[in-house]
This record gives sequence, C-alpha cells and structure tokens, in this order.
Amino acid sequence: MSKIDENQIRRRLKLLSQVEPTSEATDRAMERVRNTLTGKENRPEGKKVRTVLKRPITKLAAAAVLMIGLGYAVGRLSAPGPDMEQLNSALETSLRASLIEEMDRRWKSAFAANCVQLKDDLQQQVRRDLTEFAVQTLAASNTRTEQRLIQLINLIETARARDRRQIAAALEKIEFDKSRLGKGLVALAAQTSKLRGTKQD
Amino acid sequence: MEDRHGKLVELLEKSGAPLYTLLTRLTLHEDVAEELMQELFIKLSNSSQFDKIQNLGAYVRRAAINLAFDWRRSQKRNVLGLDRLNEPASNEKSPLAKLVQKEELKEILNAIGQVNKPAREVFVMRYIQQESYDDIAKQLGKTPHQARALCSRAMNNIRNILGSNNSGLSGKETDNVED
Repeated sequence: MSKIDENQIRRRLKLLSQVEPTSEATDRAMERVRNTLTGKENRPEGKKVRTVLKRPITKLAAAAVLMIGLGYAVGRLSAPGPDMEQLNSALETSLRASLIEEMDRRWKSAFAANCVQLKDDLQQQVRRDLTEFAVQTLAASNTRTEQRLIQLINLIETARARDRRQIAAALEKIEFDKSRLGKGLVALAAQTSKLRGTKQD
Repeated sequence: MEDRHGKLVELLEKSGAPLYTLLTRLTLHEDVAEELMQELFIKLSNSSQFDKIQNLGAYVRRAAINLAFDWRRSQKRNVLGLDRLNEPASNEKSPLAKLVQKEELKEILNAIGQVNKPAREVFVMRYIQQESYDDIAKQLGKTPHQARALCSRAMNNIRNILGSNNSGLSGKETDNVED
C-alpha cells in the first residue's frame, strides 16, 4: 500500500489549525446558544415541579391554599351567582394566550433541535433537483446539437451537389467550345489550301 | 435544573468561542458550526447524565468532535459532486487553488473521521488545536507518552487511508489505531 508523504499531511493539518471563524460569526453563534439556553430556562420542568411538591413547606402551603379555597367556595356559594359569561370569556382568552405561548416555545425548541437535520435534508433535496436538472439539460442540449449537426450536414450536401452540377455544366460547355474550335480550324485549313492552289495556277 | 443552566451558561462563556472555532475547523463551514454548537448545548441541557459528568470541558469537546465528524459522515453519504462549488475556507488564492486546497482539507478530515474516537480526539487536539502533549495528557487523564503514541498511530493510519485511495473512505471507523 502506498503512503502519502507525512509532511504533506502535516502541511494540511497546519492549514486546518489556521482556519479561524470571524468574530461576528463567533458572537452570533454564542448569542444563539445563549438565547436557546434562556428559552429553555423558562420552560416548565416536570422534575422540578415534583421536587418542589415533595418539600414540607409546599405541603403546608397546599393545605393553606386548600383552606382558602374552601373558604372562598363557601363565600361564593352564599353570595349571589357570578357572571359566568364574563368568566368564560376571560378564561378562554387566558387559556388561548398561554396555549399559543406554549406551542410557540415547543416549536422553537423542536426546530432548534432538528435544524441541522432539516438543513441536511434541504441540501440533499436541492442537490437531487440540481442533478436532475443538469441531466435533463444535458439530454436536451445533446438532442439540439444533433439536430443542428444534421441540418449542417444537409446544407453541406446541398451545396456540394450544386457545385457538382455547376462544374459538370462548365465542363460540357468547354467540350462544346472545343468541338466548335476544331471544326473552325478544319474549315480554315481547307480554305488555306484552296487559296494556295489558286495562287499556284 | 438551575444549577445545570448556570453551569451551561458558564461553560458557554468560558469555552464557547474555542468550541465554535474547533467546530468551524472540523466542518469548514461557519453556519454548520453554529448549528452544531446549538445542537451540542441542547443535547447537554437535555442529557440525563449531565449531573454525573466529571470533567465537563473534556466531555463537551469530545461531544463537539463527535458531532462534527458525524456531520461529515452524513455529508459524505450525500455527495453528488456539486459541493465542490462551495466557498473555500482559505483566502488570497486563485479560485482553482482554493478549490484544490479545500478538497485537500476535506480529504484529510474525512480520513481523520475514520480513526477511532479516542485516537481521533487526541489527534484533533494535537494537530488541529495545536495543544501540547502535556496539556492533552492532563485533560484526558493519560500520560504524555500515551498521548504521543496514540497520535503517532493515528498519523500512520491516516497516511495509509490517504495513501490507498479516496474510494476507501467508507465512513467506518478503523479498529487498528488503538488497541
């Protein structure tokens, strides 16, 4: 098995060790993590609630709340009836606001956790689409090039046929002219010998 | 939970920047490094083992290295050649030279990704983070001699991987670096 030169590896490692992110990017990354941690801090935690519930002071507080609640209920029962419609409306608004807030927090958290995966998936999808597009473009381009080549070949063939026809016509004309010249020369020779005979007489 | 949050914030302030630099070096992408750093801290804050971690700094560095190489491996599976169009990390060179250099760096990072985890960690600390053998040994609870031996074997292994051919980069860790 051939081995790569160790100096080359060290050179590449040196280059890697010199890669530094920009200070803006570092600050951005730190801020992002800071925000994520702060967001998490506000999230309710079941474990924390359970721990708090186990404390004796919590039990005392719960008993006090129960007593106050009972007193309140007795008071309310002995008093005229509440405006149920208003109570319903207020309760609905409050529930909706807290539900939206909770959903929002959960979405953010889930998105932050799956962001890398989503990004990878998106990259893969884009690559697949680009590759498909490249293949289609290449195929279309090949077809078009072939068509153009066929057209070019036809044009060349037509031009060559026309040239051949013109050359044949020119050769025919030369042949005709040559024949006429020969006849003319023969006639001239006959006339010359006739004239010479007349002079001798 | 408050305690954990405090520890994480303290860790972020103390080691956030070096961790981000390490992730950038291992991924060659600032945006990916940012994503991975966030993922790292989310995993830490959700970890049930968090309270049992003895050396948080070393644990986080190891987790960051593993995350970065996991990311590299997932990228390698999806390579269709178009990633060659990405912006190179280096500067002040011609586009072709940058492309070649980036490919070289990717090649060596992929080779490092195939080395087993303990040797890989030591190798990254030594050659990418440029730490001394003494420091590495202190942080990992080994002797400098052990750290040096791990590095040497990892280097030999990487030479073999790079020397054989690039198609040999299957994404699996090799087992023959450390006993």
